[in-house]
This record gives sequence, C-alpha cells and structure tokens, in this order.
Amino acid sequence: MYVPSVTNPIGDYVREWVPQLVAYLPESLQGETTCSVIAFAINAIICIIAVCLVNIGSAPILIYMERKVCAHVQCRLGPMRLGWHGTIQTIADVLKMLFKEVYSPQGADKKLFYLAPLIVLIAPFMIAALIPFGHNLLVANVDMGIPLIIAVNGFGVLGILLGGWSSNNKYSLMGSLRSGAQMISYEISFALVLLFVVMVSGSTNLMEITNGQAGTVANWMIFKVPVLGFLAFIMFFIASTAEMNRAPFDIAEAEQELTGGYHTEYTGTPFAMFYLAEYIALVTNSALAVTCFLGGFHAPCIGFESVDQILLKVPGVIWFFAKVYFMIWCYMMVRWTFVRPRVDQLMSFEWKFMLPVNMLLLVGGAAYIALSI
Amino acid sequence: MLENLLSNIPLTFPTGGIDIAFYAVAFVILAMAVCTVAVKNVLKSAVFLIFTFVGTAILYMLLQAEFIALAQVMVYVGGVVIFVVFTILLTSHLGEDNFSVNIPRTFAAGALSVAFVMVMVKSLFPAKELATMPSAAPEGYAGLKAIALRLLDYGPSGYIIPFEIVSVLLLATLISAVTVARKEKEEKK
Repeated sequence: MYVPSVTNPIGDYVREWVPQLVAYLPESLQGETTCSVIAFAINAIICIIAVCLVNIGSAPILIYMERKVCAHVQCRLGPMRLGWHGTIQTIADVLKMLFKEVYSPQGADKKLFYLAPLIVLIAPFMIAALIPFGHNLLVANVDMGIPLIIAVNGFGVLGILLGGWSSNNKYSLMGSLRSGAQMISYEISFALVLLFVVMVSGSTNLMEITNGQAGTVANWMIFKVPVLGFLAFIMFFIASTAEMNRAPFDIAEAEQELTGGYHTEYTGTPFAMFYLAEYIALVTNSALAVTCFLGGFHAPCIGFESVDQILLKVPGVIWFFAKVYFMIWCYMMVRWTFVRPRVDQLMSFEWKFMLPVNMLLLVGGAAYIALSI
Repeated sequence: MLENLLSNIPLTFPTGGIDIAFYAVAFVILAMAVCTVAVKNVLKSAVFLIFTFVGTAILYMLLQAEFIALAQVMVYVGGVVIFVVFTILLTSHLGEDNFSVNIPRTFAAGALSVAFVMVMVKSLFPAKELATMPSAAPEGYAGLKAIALRLLDYGPSGYIIPFEIVSVLLLATLISAVTVARKEKEEKK
C-alpha cells in the first residue's frame, strides 16, 4: 500500500526508530504498512507543530516589536505598563481579540465571510513549510520550492477579494479591489526576482539554493553576483513589501480614505486571522529573503580562520532567526519612515519601473552566467 | 451495443492507496464542478471553480506531474480565476437578479452531457491496458528539469520552435493589450 512519507532528516530518524516501537505491538498488527503509517503520523504531527510554533508563536513577538519600533521612530516609548517594558501587552491584546464576539454585518454573505480569513492563511503556512530553518530543520524538501511559492501566493489575493466583497460594505469592497490589483501587479515582480535567484543558483529547491551560498559572506547571493545581486535584493524587498500590503504600499487599508480596507467589518477571531496572516507573511517573506539572498542558515564567515571557528560554533537556526529578525526590523523601519504613495503612483511604479528593471535583471543574470562559465 | 460496451469495461479496478485518493479527489472535483454550474450567485460559482482547479492540480500531483500541477494552480487559481472574480466584483448589482434557466436549455444541456459521457465511455474503456497500466509516471519523469530540457531541445524530440513561436505570440498579445488599454491624448482633452 502507498503511504506518503515526510522526506527530511528528522523524518528519517523517526522512520528508523518506529520499527523498534512497533515490535511491542501484538503480532497481527506488525508489518511494513503499520510501521510506515505510524512513522508518517508522527512525522506529520511534528511538522504541523513546528510550522504552527514558528508561525503563530512569532506573531505576538512581531506585534510587540512593531509597536516598539514604531514608538521609537516616533520618539515615544510604546507599551510600558504591563510587565517589564510592556512585554505582556500583546498577550493581553490577543486574549481580548479572541474573546470578542464574532458577528457578520447585515446582508453579508456568511459562508464567504468566514471562508475568506481561512483562505488568506493558506499561503503563509505553506511557504513556512518549505523554508529550511537549519541543516536538518526542514518540513518539506520539495524540488519545486520556488514555483510552489509563486503558485500559492495567489490564494492571498483571493482571500482578500472574497473577504472584501462578502462584508457588504463599500469601504471593504474598494479596499479589497485596490489591494487585489496591487498584489497581482507586484506578484509579477516578485516572481521575476525569484526567477533571477533560480537562474543564478541553478535550482528551484530552497535547500539547494541555501547550500549554494555556503562558505563566506562573499558567497551569499547578494554579493555573489556583483551589483546585480544587491539590485535583485532591493527589488525583492520592494516587491515583497507591496505583496504583503505593508506600508508604504498599504493603500489597501489607507486609514484616512478607507477606514480599515478589506477587513473593516471583521471582528474577533476572523480579524485576528487576517492580522495573523499579515504577520506570518512578514516572517515568511523575511525568511525567503534570507534563504535566497542572505545565505540562509549559514554563518556569516568572513574568511579569517580564527573568527570563523567561533561563528561556526553557533547553530544554523540561531543564525537563520537572527537574519530573519534583522530583515523584519528593516521592513518595520521602512514602514514607519516612508510616506504612502497614491494608487496611480503605486501602479505606474510597478509597471513602468519595477517590471522593466526586473527584465533587465534577468538579462544581466543570464549574461553573468554566460560569462562566468 | 450496450452489452458489448459493458463487456469491455475492465471490472478489476486497482485498489491501492493512490487509487483511493484518486477516487476521493475525483468525487470532490465532480461535486465542485456541479456546484459551479448549479449555484445561483456568480461569485460563489467562481469560488467553486477554484476548488475544482485545485482538485485537478491534486490529480496531477498524484500522477507525479508536479510542475503541471503547480502551473495549474499558478495560471488558473492565481491568474484566471482572480481576474474572473475581479470582473464580477466590478460589475454592479451582483447576486440581486439571479439568472433563470428555462427548461429547453436544461434539456439541451442534459442531452449534451449524456452524449459526452457516452463518447468518453466508448473511446476510453475499450483500451485494454487501462487496468494494467502503472498508475503514475516514475518520479521525476515530468519534473521541472525534464520538461525544461525537452522544451528547449534543438533535436528531433525538442520543442524549441513552438516555444519561441509562443513567446512571439505572447509578446504580440501584450502589445495589443497595451494598445487597447492606452488612452489617446485627444481623449484627455
């Protein structure tokens, strides 16, 4: 019988270890199938817990971080009262949000109204499953990682469009249409930059892309290809900021014009899910940037033997999350320093600047490969 | 004729894990396809259409054709259906006047679908090797690398010329779309 299996090193370990456990079962139950089913179940549960831990666990940290970064940019202190420097504030906020009443506005399409937040959460959770967090910490070692990421991103637009329409509110509808148009446009640049990465590294597997950047800092994608790598990184940064609907590209929920954008009518848990999706997208996009450009879980070795010895002693996961949180900090600083462009400026920026530059980037990448071989 | 047909149907269907998965996914696809047509709200039928496309992608996955599955999701879910939803949202009075279907049209549709099923049965089931064929291609057969190498191959088994022609076609489509969407300068005044 065909049983799917989780292909990663921890999965291999579990598969080795399960037959010893199965030996304790009665004779009639033992066999190849039982082993593989149990191993798959255990592996699946480990994977689900890991993805949920990274995603849902980082959301409160990010909310706290966002408030603190925002406050310090604006010369305030931010949350200070609850706990040490306001650390318990986010937990209180999350609890408040979860205990709020869930209701839909009059005339809303109830099924779609509650389906939309679920659809929005598909993409970030799937992308989190593809990202290698460490040498052995990877849920799915998929050969077609980058195409899968590009494909799954479409669900985010869909959820936002459905949520905006089903709220039966003009603000929501306008917000969702705006953000839908924006996300579709910037998805093209996003995909093109990822294609540049694929072209230079010669693989669509995220693990192989990371391992292709092993060695010193000079081997990271951002420095590996002179100038073009840095340009691609900036392009990725802009495209992913727009893709996530974060400021300065947050015209979808421009408070002054559209109250709350597509989630104006959402309360309680569904609203929390939209919020969660936004912050998980922040983590996954930063993780993607780190994997594709900043060497993933590899330590930032600089070529001096004595320094590298110390740097290599730190596990890859810690390097990975340090880089991820650095990227998140960059996204947050951008959010609180730049002003929001108008809708037409945003669209013409994508179609008249980003897209041609990305095309040129692809041509430049091809030239680099042709010259370096 | 019917007996002749029935005797040709291979009755020993394989019942492995993949086959069970296939039947489950196929059933879901069929249900969603029926919902797409039967639901009165246009937007809801677009949502059901998405589920149908995702189901088809899962079928490709079961056949080990991963890239085609991803292309299915990328093109249809991420592209086509999003634009369909967009168009629906931009049209006003959505869902207020449900379109009604009168009986002759239903009858014609029914007759057409029955005829289609008949043709499918007649052309598919006589294939004797249907029951004995391997249920999926070997792993990596339709992978990204295999497809890409075949697509850009100069040799007799390659598809480089159709590939290039399609790229020219896409370029022409893009330019014509821009021409249609572009505003003339006189119009602004």
